[in-house]
Amino acid sequence: MKEQIVCKTSDLEPGQMKASLFGKQSVVICRTLDGEFYAFLNQCTHQGAPLDKGMICGATTEESQPGEYHYCRKGEIIRCPWHGREFDIKNEGRMLANPNKKLPNYNVKIENDHVIIYK
Amino acid sequence: MTTNQFAIVDTDIHERVQYKDILKYLDEPFRHYITNCHWIQEKHMPYTQPAVAGVDRADAITPDGRPGGSDLAFMQKQLLDDIGHEYGILTSALDPSPSSMHGWYEMATALASAYNDWQIEEWLDKDDRLYGSVHIAAQDRDAAIKEIERVGSHPKMVQVLLPIDDIMWGDPFYHPIFEACEKHQLMIGMHHNEPPVYYGKWPRYFIEWHTLIPTAHMKQVTNMIFNGVFDKFPKLGLIMIEGGFTWVPHLMWKMDQQYRDLRHEVPWLKRKPSDIFKQQIKVTTQPAEELTKQEFASLVEQMGTDEILCFSTDYPHWDYDSPTRALPKMDPELKKKIFAENAKAFYPKLPK
Ligand code: FES
Repeated sequence: MKEQIVCKTSDLEPGQMKASLFGKQSVVICRTLDGEFYAFLNQCTHQGAPLDKGMICGATTEESQPGEYHYCRKGEIIRCPWHGREFDIKNEGRMLANPNKKLPNYNVKIENDHVIIYK
Repeated sequence: MTTNQFAIVDTDIHERVQYKDILKYLDEPFRHYITNCHWIQEKHMPYTQPAVAGVDRADAITPDGRPGGSDLAFMQKQLLDDIGHEYGILTSALDPSPSSMHGWYEMATALASAYNDWQIEEWLDKDDRLYGSVHIAAQDRDAAIKEIERVGSHPKMVQVLLPIDDIMWGDPFYHPIFEACEKHQLMIGMHHNEPPVYYGKWPRYFIEWHTLIPTAHMKQVTNMIFNGVFDKFPKLGLIMIEGGFTWVPHLMWKMDQQYRDLRHEVPWLKRKPSDIFKQQIKVTTQPAEELTKQEFASLVEQMGTDEILCFSTDYPHWDYDSPTRALPKMDPELKKKIFAENAKAFYPKLPK
């Protein structure tokens, strides 16, 4: 299967995510606050938790000095429902604590209010 | 559908109670103190919740919105049936555990009894796979022994649960509890409550606290061994639940070396501490650090026996370990032991 409609654009408000199927594969479709769509394999790289049961949130960043918190990147981070690992939606699904690890991702295009993903 | 192809005895499953669920099992006037006098549980932790759904896996919240572990049918579906558990040991505590409650021993004792009755009726009697833990309020030792006498002979009660907090359980004051356990073929399961890991205080961050939980487990093991509990009660077993396991070789070496030098102070110890450990102590695997196959095999070799580790998931908590993903590949014999046989050998009341 090359490409497939996974949901309608109206199915997701900015800042939300949902699970869908790409062929037999469970995928998670995320919409960031700027309205863009992203798609990843719906399985955490750690122990395989279903990511759509987690949370889209912001992050406290690595620019912080000890004792300082800067909350930013709102709506751009997926936090896993189990052990809480954070994945950067806008940076290829890379893990914040170890950017060498990333979630397998899919290409996304929008046609006639349909969210289509393809390999 | 069962996802695994090997037998699993899960040594740490947390069923969860809401206080309102045990009210009907609670004696008066304690029920009155909760329903009419606003008694509420005490909580200590000064941190943000660690994960997306507090201390639970976010996908373990029940379909009707109750916290993970509250519903047997949902637990069966998500855990026991899906993974294909052979047996599971229930280890929930009231939060805090009755033995960790401050003051008012009578309330703690009454809550422990209500909890035990609730656990038997709502969980143990309803699923053949589930075995249970006797809750006690050990600070009132004699009442705790009465409770062990009351429910300890239930065929599905396999251990007495003691929290790891700020009481050192090897103290001779608590030995009559161990005597009662031995009498009923109950092991001791120790699980941390909210132990003060920084010299009796909270560190600034949860991540520090959680990193150092194994130190609280090490303290209890050291204390139980050197206070002679295992020499006095040779049929007693202790299982350390949810402290991970990579600390085990270090503590064995350290205790043996100290024993060689300082034995004169604890003449009741007739065996090397590491031998006592091998013969009477088990350790659950979760939360497992991510080890390679070689690192894991070498660690087991350093323990000098492959009969200490018992697999556990800690369902439904956030730091759950998946039976297929948490531990590295290992040879089939070792796998059988860690995932089922060690726990079966440990608990006399678990079917073989
Ligand atoms: S399974 Fe996602 S953080 Fe562990």
